[in-house]
Amino acid sequence: MKKLDNTLIIGIGNNTRQDDGLGWSFLEILEKNGFNSENLLYKYQLMVEDAELIGEYETVFFVDACKTDIPKEFEIKRIFPAEQVAFSTHEVPPNQILNLCETIYNKKPKAYIIKIQGYEWDIEIGLTEQAKINLKNAFSFFIENKNLVSKSR
Amino acid sequence: MSKRKIVIEPVTRVEGHGKVTIKLDEKGKVEDAFLHIVEFRGFEKFIQGHPYWEAPVLVQRLCGICPVSHHLAAAKAIDQLVGVDPENLTPTATKLRRLLHYGQVFQSHSLHFFYLASPDILFGINAPAEKRNIVAVASENRELAKKGILMRKFGQEIIKALAGKKIHGILAVPGGVHKTFTKEEREYFLDGKEIPNVDTMIAWSKEVIDFMKNYHLENGEWIDNFAAYPSNHLGLVDKETGALELYDGRLRSIDSEGNELLNIEDIEYRYHFKEAVEPWSYLKFPYMTKYGREKGWNRVGPLARLNTSSHITTPFAEVERQIFKAYTQNKPNNMTMHTHWARLIEMLHCAELIKELLLDDDLMGTDLVSTGTPRNKGIGIIEAPRGTLIHEYHTDDKGLITKCNLIVSTTHNNEAMNRGVRAVANEVLSEKPEITEPMLNQVEMAIRAYDPCLSCATHALGQMPLIVQLEDTNGNLIDEKIR
Repeated sequence: MKKLDNTLIIGIGNNTRQDDGLGWSFLEILEKNGFNSENLLYKYQLMVEDAELIGEYETVFFVDACKTDIPKEFEIKRIFPAEQVAFSTHEVPPNQILNLCETIYNKKPKAYIIKIQGYEWDIEIGLTEQAKINLKNAFSFFIENKNLVSKSR
Repeated sequence: MSKRKIVIEPVTRVEGHGKVTIKLDEKGKVEDAFLHIVEFRGFEKFIQGHPYWEAPVLVQRLCGICPVSHHLAAAKAIDQLVGVDPENLTPTATKLRRLLHYGQVFQSHSLHFFYLASPDILFGINAPAEKRNIVAVASENRELAKKGILMRKFGQEIIKALAGKKIHGILAVPGGVHKTFTKEEREYFLDGKEIPNVDTMIAWSKEVIDFMKNYHLENGEWIDNFAAYPSNHLGLVDKETGALELYDGRLRSIDSEGNELLNIEDIEYRYHFKEAVEPWSYLKFPYMTKYGREKGWNRVGPLARLNTSSHITTPFAEVERQIFKAYTQNKPNNMTMHTHWARLIEMLHCAELIKELLLDDDLMGTDLVSTGTPRNKGIGIIEAPRGTLIHEYHTDDKGLITKCNLIVSTTHNNEAMNRGVRAVANEVLSEKPEITEPMLNQVEMAIRAYDPCLSCATHALGQMPLIVQLEDTNGNLIDEKIR
């Protein structure tokens, strides 16, 4: 078992909307590769109460599909509490969750976003072929850069 | 001034995506206004061919906010496919499902109040846009924000205890439920050791109602008149007593004066309702066949439910209902912004119901599933947080779904929301020399009062700007704001 001590990985999406399932698929690959499922969280979307949850961890990864073009079809980058506020609490962005966590609970987990490019979003189960490739590449990069993962072993 | 068209897209702080178009004439007077639903959701088609027992699981993908409501409505329909009517479920199964439902309504109502409504209430409709949001609420009133999070969490914990940790979790199976409740699970919600207990939820719900009533005292004229208009009201009521009922009952509709328009067995709905379509929206417009498209539409949701029901069965919520009803001399309440007040009374009601159930030993029974003679049609109707939710499924002899029809709460409220947009647009935008952001926010508030769930589910990163477009009469873009 590869433990993810003090690290939470949140997959965001919906696997009945084609490539919107990329976030969940990323978690499924982690589970298949022996990472402990207790630290993997499947979410349709982030919600405000997640501000409390992430405060319990040292490191948090948010994994989601991305509709806009990104150079390598995936991207992993550090994120920080938002200074500007988003205009929808239905789709609470990760940096707003971090902001709420800091504002209400005075906690600042180290946070990263993993964006994986998707292409099709219709009501259908299954990723597109290119999305599967992007997912594989994102996962490989994640594993090769384990130093990103707090205290993984 | 040439004719202009104002487009607000998407509507902010509602569940899903939508677009508002307001057409102004040469003098700047509102000519017409529409709420468009721009995303087509082909779920009814998608589910065809799937085995019926998959429906309660698959329909949860319809919405990230209310998967439990879809799960339970589908489960009620699927029960009938295996020959089990609601009254034939075991007491334990019925009570566990009800507990799940009340947890869902409680968390959804608290989410709406604290995170969608409270910014407008705390800071006012004229506050800068960057201040009307939950982070600003948290900054100015940390305790209120914390309570909001804990109340939503309490409802979510109820759901988790019953339906499992992951989002794929389920409680209902054809004819019943697949798990019972344990003493440990019950104590978790009663003893207050790990999370604030159910008594705290009741106390906090009462506090929030007091907060709303005080706000009403100071802002009564605005609340009473904003986006107010007469309408019919539709909701489930208890089959025997006419009390407020959220899980299973008769469908009752009244007009704006309180005259009864409909009082039917819920499964008879299809003989009494039709759905109209408009070329500018994917969302249909349901109406009661007998009264036609113009006069037969209903509001649904908390306000409608308090109008259609005779009383509330839990004591604290009933006291609050009586105060609420006294404000309109026991006549139907057609004041749109009172929906927030009604929602909070329901939140208190759900907290009380949750306590009642937690203290009921039937919850820990082991008789979980009933059986019957299979049928080919099932109809499940519940009162979801946003209003009446209808699921209907037809199957072939192999149990594969051949037809599905869903009428979600927001569909029922489609006409009502459009009327609200028109009323507010006329009030705040007509013949004004300048269109300000607070004016646009008021239009959105008329929609948000219904807590609409416009579509859902695809929320990939980077796709939710607010775009405001001004177009002239020929459709040329003359101004645009992205926030």
